[in-house]
Amino acid sequence: MNIEEKTPIIVVKDLAARFGENVVFEGVSFQVYKGEVLVIVGASGCGKSTLLKIIIGLQKPYAGQVLYQGMDITCAEEKELNQYRQNIGVLFQSSALFSSMTIKENIELPLQEYTDLDPAAINTIIKMKLGMVNLAGYENYHPSELSGGMKKRAGIARAMALDPRVLFFDELSAGLDPVTAAELDDLIIKTEEALGTTMVVVTHELESIYKIAHRVLMLDKEAKGIIAEGKPLELKERATDPRVKSFFLRQKPVTPDEQRFYVN
Amino acid sequence: MKTQTQEDCSEHYNISFNREDLSLFIHLSGQFGLKNLMVFRSDINREISKQKLQSVTIDFSEVCYLDSAAALAFVQIEKEAASQNIQCWLTNLNDESKGIFSVIHADALNQQPFKSLQYQDDFIRQVGQSSLHIARDFVNFVTFIGELLVALLYTIRHPKTLRGKDVLFYIHRAGVEGLPIVALIGALIGLIIAFMSFLQLKQVGANIYVPALVSFAMVRELGPIMTAILVAGRSGSAFAAEIGTMVVNEEVDALHTMGFDPIRFLAVPKVLATIIVVPILTIYADLFGIIGGMVIGVTSLDLTIKTYITQSIKTIQVFDIVTSLIKAAVFAALIASIGCQRGFQVRSGAQDVGKFTTSAVVAAIFMIVVADSIFAVMLYYIKQ
Repeated sequence: MNIEEKTPIIVVKDLAARFGENVVFEGVSFQVYKGEVLVIVGASGCGKSTLLKIIIGLQKPYAGQVLYQGMDITCAEEKELNQYRQNIGVLFQSSALFSSMTIKENIELPLQEYTDLDPAAINTIIKMKLGMVNLAGYENYHPSELSGGMKKRAGIARAMALDPRVLFFDELSAGLDPVTAAELDDLIIKTEEALGTTMVVVTHELESIYKIAHRVLMLDKEAKGIIAEGKPLELKERATDPRVKSFFLRQKPVTPDEQRFYVN
Repeated sequence: MKTQTQEDCSEHYNISFNREDLSLFIHLSGQFGLKNLMVFRSDINREISKQKLQSVTIDFSEVCYLDSAAALAFVQIEKEAASQNIQCWLTNLNDESKGIFSVIHADALNQQPFKSLQYQDDFIRQVGQSSLHIARDFVNFVTFIGELLVALLYTIRHPKTLRGKDVLFYIHRAGVEGLPIVALIGALIGLIIAFMSFLQLKQVGANIYVPALVSFAMVRELGPIMTAILVAGRSGSAFAAEIGTMVVNEEVDALHTMGFDPIRFLAVPKVLATIIVVPILTIYADLFGIIGGMVIGVTSLDLTIKTYITQSIKTIQVFDIVTSLIKAAVFAALIASIGCQRGFQVRSGAQDVGKFTTSAVVAAIFMIVVADSIFAVMLYYIKQ
């Protein structure tokens, strides 16, 4: 991606989320630029998934705005929200393929619903998408017949069915073996390079962060917000914040006076 | 090469055709994607097939947005042209567009599915399949009943292993929470029977037999059957869905590996709770049925509450009540064990859970009716 020409595609302003009285995060502001791969990291429970759910319009925030092409999706009407949803694709943690349908039917669903294509055209598009994720020939399989990595790839194919402008990945390589995870990373890089799709990835696999991320945002549970932002290698080398350092160096957090936090 | 940024890229698109002898020049500008795919594809195809051509050149220099579906359409246009011996060139592609074309793999498009969809088998095969299925189902059920009995015996011999809290929980779920609907349906059924029999009996002036008819029908047949069907719908299905979801989430496997017998852990409390609760619900159903009949008796038949009650009590014998409760307990055992067994049959996925939940209710209701017929014949001979 050319760093010089940054056009924001999603703008998050002063976002806050709460569960009842419990503040998950507040004052979170950042931008997602067109064509970049933005990785959101942070320890478990820091609100990464909540943030993602708010951005894709599944949850309402406590306060703040999420702007996509000038439209605030946190208070958009259902019709506008649907418009937005056709421009994004989401890969869920467990792939969320519909188990009663074949892979082909899974990918077919958005194409039938949102386009006026004839069945033959839909069919070739499905073949192309399956080819893109290296699953050519698997159209008549049911999700239960596929391995975890294949399910993820089928999920990506479904997320990309409508050629979305932005793709979201929740816990991209969670629960996958290193080889499969690396293949997924390659797929992400290849897709990004070929199609220029903007991608927002939630993960905590360090290797895949170094490999795919153009930019990293780090959330923290204690700080209830973003504590670091930048290129992954720069964060690793230059970060002074112990929390950021320990994450990127994969060490247990050591505060200067060896103070420890116990959670009961 | 002119490139446009996203902002000044208009939503519209334009295609201009230029014909020179046997060559066609197609100039594209604007956005090409899923939304206008059908239109531009047929436009271009129409233009190409209009008259004999030797070559087609498609100029992408002013395309500001192209998605993979549109790129695929152009690849297909190119292929079709090639099949008609027309040379086709896609020119002035910018880097972005080239990238998009690079994801289209010809071998993926030609790849035949590894597996064909399963079509309906012929009739004989279907009959065979379903016979085998029924046989397997029966074996499965008998095996489960055996395992359940072993688990129950174990629980009786080691009462401490029973999860009392779970039993109480399911007593609450199946019993206390089911009471309002059982009472309501019971009262309405009593009301209906009283009203229908009143319409018939008044012709012969035998109104006084209405309370007897209602209480006899409620206690002997309708009370137990109706309660059992309601419990099958409310709780049998819930047991199947709950255990089925646990199987899908590997919770049942977790129980196995932790050394618990899933049947003893999951099925026994449910079965015991249901056996305790259904007879009690049946008594309530009987009672409310008689009360429902009494409403008609008092308002339409000019009977006093006292006469109605004495007439009812005269009809019901202790034998009837006891057998009705035994019947209810048997129905309860059937409902709960079928519900649990169907739950354990779930293998994967949401659809399986739905399938076996439905099957739990249908099978339970069927078994209730079968058991009731057996009881009807058996009780007739016992009473003689």
